[in-house]
Amino acid sequence: MTKVSNKKVISRLAFRELRSNRRMNIVVILSIVLTCVLFTALTSIGGSLINGTQQETMRQVGGDRMAGLKCVLPEDYEKVCEDSTTCDVVYRVIVGNAVNDAFKNFSVEINYAGDENAAKASFCNQTTGKLPENYDEIAVSTLVLDALGLPHELGTVVPVTLNVDGEVSEHEFKLCGYWQGEKVAMAQECWVSKAFADKYAPTPTKQFNTLEHPVYAGYWQVDFNYANSWDIEGKTNALISRLYGNSENAPDVGINWAYTTSNADSGMVVGGIVMILVIFAAGYLIIYNIFYINISANIRSYGLLKTIGTTSMQIRRMVRVQAAVYCVIGIPFGLIIGILSGKILFKAIMVTMNIYSAASYAISVKLLVMICLASTAFTFLTVMISCRKPCKIAGSVSPIEALRYNETNINAKKRDKKTRTISPLSVARNNMLRSRKKTIVVVLSLTLSMVLVNTLFTVLRGVDMDKYVSAQIVGDFIIMHDKVSTLNYDDQHALITPEQLEYLNTIDGVRQVSPIYFRRGKLVFHEEPLERLNTLCDKYADTDEHGSLTNAKDNGTIPTDIYGVTDDVLNVLEPADGKIDPTKWQSGKYAIVNTYYLGAEDEKGEPLYSVGDTLTLSSMKGMDEDTTKDFEVMALCEMPYAISTQSYYLFGGQVIIPESTYSEMTDNRNAMSVMMNAEENCFDDVDKQIRYMTDRSDSQVIVKSKQTYLEEFSDFTKMIKLVGGTLSGILALIGILNFVNAVVTGIISRKRELAMMNAVGMTGGQLKKMLMWEGVHYAALTAVCSVIIGFLLDNVVVKSITGDLFFFTHHFTFMPILICVPILLLLSAVIPSVAYQTICRDSVVNRLREN
Amino acid sequence: MEVLKTEALTKIYGEGESKVTALDNANLSVRQGEFAAIVGTSGSGKSTLLHMLGGLDRPTSGKVYVEGKDIFTLKDEALTIFRRRKIGFVFQSFNLVPTLNVYENIVFPIQLDGNDVDDKFVNEVIGILGLADMQNRLPNQLSGGQQQRVAIARALAAKPAIVLADEPTGNLDSKTSQDVLSLLKVTGQKFSQTIVMITHNEAIAQMADRIIRIEDGHIIKGGEPND
Ligand SMILES: Nc1ncnc2c1ncn2[C@@H]1O[C@H](COP(=O)(O)OP(=O)(O)OP(=O)(O)O)[C@@H](O)[C@H]1O
Ligand SMILES: [Mg+2]
Repeated sequence: MTKVSNKKVISRLAFRELRSNRRMNIVVILSIVLTCVLFTALTSIGGSLINGTQQETMRQVGGDRMAGLKCVLPEDYEKVCEDSTTCDVVYRVIVGNAVNDAFKNFSVEINYAGDENAAKASFCNQTTGKLPENYDEIAVSTLVLDALGLPHELGTVVPVTLNVDGEVSEHEFKLCGYWQGEKVAMAQECWVSKAFADKYAPTPTKQFNTLEHPVYAGYWQVDFNYANSWDIEGKTNALISRLYGNSENAPDVGINWAYTTSNADSGMVVGGIVMILVIFAAGYLIIYNIFYINISANIRSYGLLKTIGTTSMQIRRMVRVQAAVYCVIGIPFGLIIGILSGKILFKAIMVTMNIYSAASYAISVKLLVMICLASTAFTFLTVMISCRKPCKIAGSVSPIEALRYNETNINAKKRDKKTRTISPLSVARNNMLRSRKKTIVVVLSLTLSMVLVNTLFTVLRGVDMDKYVSAQIVGDFIIMHDKVSTLNYDDQHALITPEQLEYLNTIDGVRQVSPIYFRRGKLVFHEEPLERLNTLCDKYADTDEHGSLTNAKDNGTIPTDIYGVTDDVLNVLEPADGKIDPTKWQSGKYAIVNTYYLGAEDEKGEPLYSVGDTLTLSSMKGMDEDTTKDFEVMALCEMPYAISTQSYYLFGGQVIIPESTYSEMTDNRNAMSVMMNAEENCFDDVDKQIRYMTDRSDSQVIVKSKQTYLEEFSDFTKMIKLVGGTLSGILALIGILNFVNAVVTGIISRKRELAMMNAVGMTGGQLKKMLMWEGVHYAALTAVCSVIIGFLLDNVVVKSITGDLFFFTHHFTFMPILICVPILLLLSAVIPSVAYQTICRDSVVNRLREN
Repeated sequence: MEVLKTEALTKIYGEGESKVTALDNANLSVRQGEFAAIVGTSGSGKSTLLHMLGGLDRPTSGKVYVEGKDIFTLKDEALTIFRRRKIGFVFQSFNLVPTLNVYENIVFPIQLDGNDVDDKFVNEVIGILGLADMQNRLPNQLSGGQQQRVAIARALAAKPAIVLADEPTGNLDSKTSQDVLSLLKVTGQKFSQTIVMITHNEAIAQMADRIIRIEDGHIIKGGEPND
């Protein structure tokens, strides 16, 4: 009993304090709202993505139940229904497949749905009409209707060529229901009536057995859920052994892999965790700081509470109750704002990824509740962890110390007392030095948000449009096979006929048409390359490349991509060594050869050739095995990825020779790809005319235009700028809020001290100046720390993470800090004035009387 | 010569029901070099009067003249500067700047004015007040009485024309009280300072040239100098 009432006293005290400390309330609640917004936005985006992928996988699989029994009998259905672990049990009866000619692009199953739920479970519940009841009724998806060229109208006659375990028969059904077909689904479903199913697929009498009895018709497909999706496989195994023991005739089971495959790839998970930690850090910083500062300011009253008998446990509880109250007020706002902004951001992300069906990604109520719960938990945890230390400080204060407490360090150094004159600056500096701990906390927390903003900005800025686009494309257009990198045989690479090339040349507004010819051949080694090969062989003795290297050494040859190009292409080459001289090169005596890729992409082995070496090509297709041709190496250079075959040998060559020489060496006149440039302003026209050629249905070539890549990329950058910008905006806001709080609290908690200084002769102007100097010190210290820590962080962490991204050019910048510092300086000039003005509304005497 | 003079000084705190007339039509005049003690019951308005005299608070009505100047015609900034040049204050409690050590606290007003510190004099004051050993300590390392003494030292160090002290000996034992009082008197005479001091201690009040008695905001005795 006593315990309860004493709790009441403490919470009453907590509420009193809350009411008397409005400014702190606002700042704390604001920061809790911000933290909660961040968490909510993050979890709602993450949740939508994960849930969406799962939904989409389910639609692909064609079912939302966690597990199922394949090809069983009605009695098995009964058994599953009776089991206590299963729920939502549904069944379908297998009839056969529809094999109309119109369905050659997708498979169509004919089944009987046990009930509405069975149809729903496979995402095939009619949105118009009903499930079949009469013998000749059928319900199908719109995709089936479309494939048959039938209208979406009930009563339409649907012709079906039915294949029941190999027996084909023709039928005409009446459409009794249909639904929006799911393109991603592996098969389209058609529901027939029970009467029809009974006739064509009567329930078998024997257990299903693929080996001696390959008949599917009439077997039941039983799908069901468990209470939760944890360890579905284990539960299913347990279920099977419960129902069938160890017997041979246990049915096949299917586990819905929408539940089992990891829905998010590891990059997303790591990214998510990093984001959560960042948000946690940001939230922790400001909330900790506010509590720390305010508790330090109120330490006298805590001391007093102790003097009159409050235990430290009780004081701690009081602070915790306050924190909880702040949460109760702040979190709902945070949730609402967070979910709204999460929705907006998610839309932006969906637009850039533009591959998702909106249906899968709609946020369900269940998901919404989960998001809210998770964000609430995260926020609450952040707040509670943040106020732990301040709680301790408040609780462990000794009553006497607290009564004299004024945030100063005990050790005052002996100083030269004669020469100093006092100025607002010197007093300010003195104050900062004497309350070092507070100074450090404030500066560090400001620094952290600055550094975070700066790092984020550096990363965002590093995203390099040119790098991205040039990796994808050179020139304005490239025309090539649509799956060039998956092709293996050179004949198939060469698709663009001389006639097509002719057509491309006649397009108005074309500035340049450069065909790229390609053949596969061999490089024959002479002394020097062979020697280098030996060295390489030794060096890579223990690696995967060793095999290819010894092979090459033994044969004296390596497989080689031979490119024949016009001299326009030379302009897009970036030689690693040597100089490309187009006129000399045109003579046909010179070749450009690659530096060598070995192992990982960035790990280049030494080149086998150096400029001036002789290089021998052989075995061009259409050329005698023994015919060889010699070239002098003019330069070492890689073919740009966009116009290469886009596939690599583990260890292979790449030789670029003039088109004319190439033609002499081979009889294949088809080009692999064409690089094109348009005149200025003609871009769209040229694009249209190229597409006229490539969009023909029998065309296997596609066109890639620089414009589409630019657009694609700008969507991408827009997205990350939006997301990153929002995040850094909030972080900056948190930092500034933090700063304002520190400065304002610093002034208000020293109300009496300031009044006293005023009483003994420090003028209002001097006091204001002193306070400003304190702010300036914070700002300056923060700037210095941010630059140092930001620089370190950038070099140690950011570089290593972003180094792997090909579209990333790292350039460190202090820009955000440089932008923030004047803002902080401005704030440190304005806030003290305003705050001091506010406390000056009280007379000096009144302020002196105050506690 | 009259160095301090009030005219119908009235201070009313609050409004309506919670209205308190802390000072009601007080007329007071103090001559240069005089040592006056203000006595009265708790809540009678002593501190209020002293604050007005020092220009710390503005009266509801009435005037305060310091060396013939109506101080409330001054703007806040000017009033503060005027105060630090003319008046030394000792408050009833919480007197010191917590971030400055004892010595720095004492010379604070002098340095604020950018003046050189008269070290000989300051050291003398520090010596008499028994603070010589603790010049480098911070206020929170001092006892209440020690803090009070530092405040007195600060009030005297700038050699102000007027010293206003609100129970300066409230925290001191009688021996130290006597010493401090003597110091006040001696320096007062030496620099012809005017001292106005609030006290509850009759014995100390008796050491003054004049006793001003206040009751319920009215000066009931000693408003004019003794002749
Ligand atoms: N800021 C204020 N607001 C309202 N009333 C006040 C204020 N300051 C003083 N008073 C009232 O004015 C009256 C005079 O106060 P004052 O501080 O001058 O008394 P005092 O004579 O110094 O008392 P003590 O000897 O206890 O210090 C008291 O009744 C007090 O309650
Ligand atoms: Mg008083």
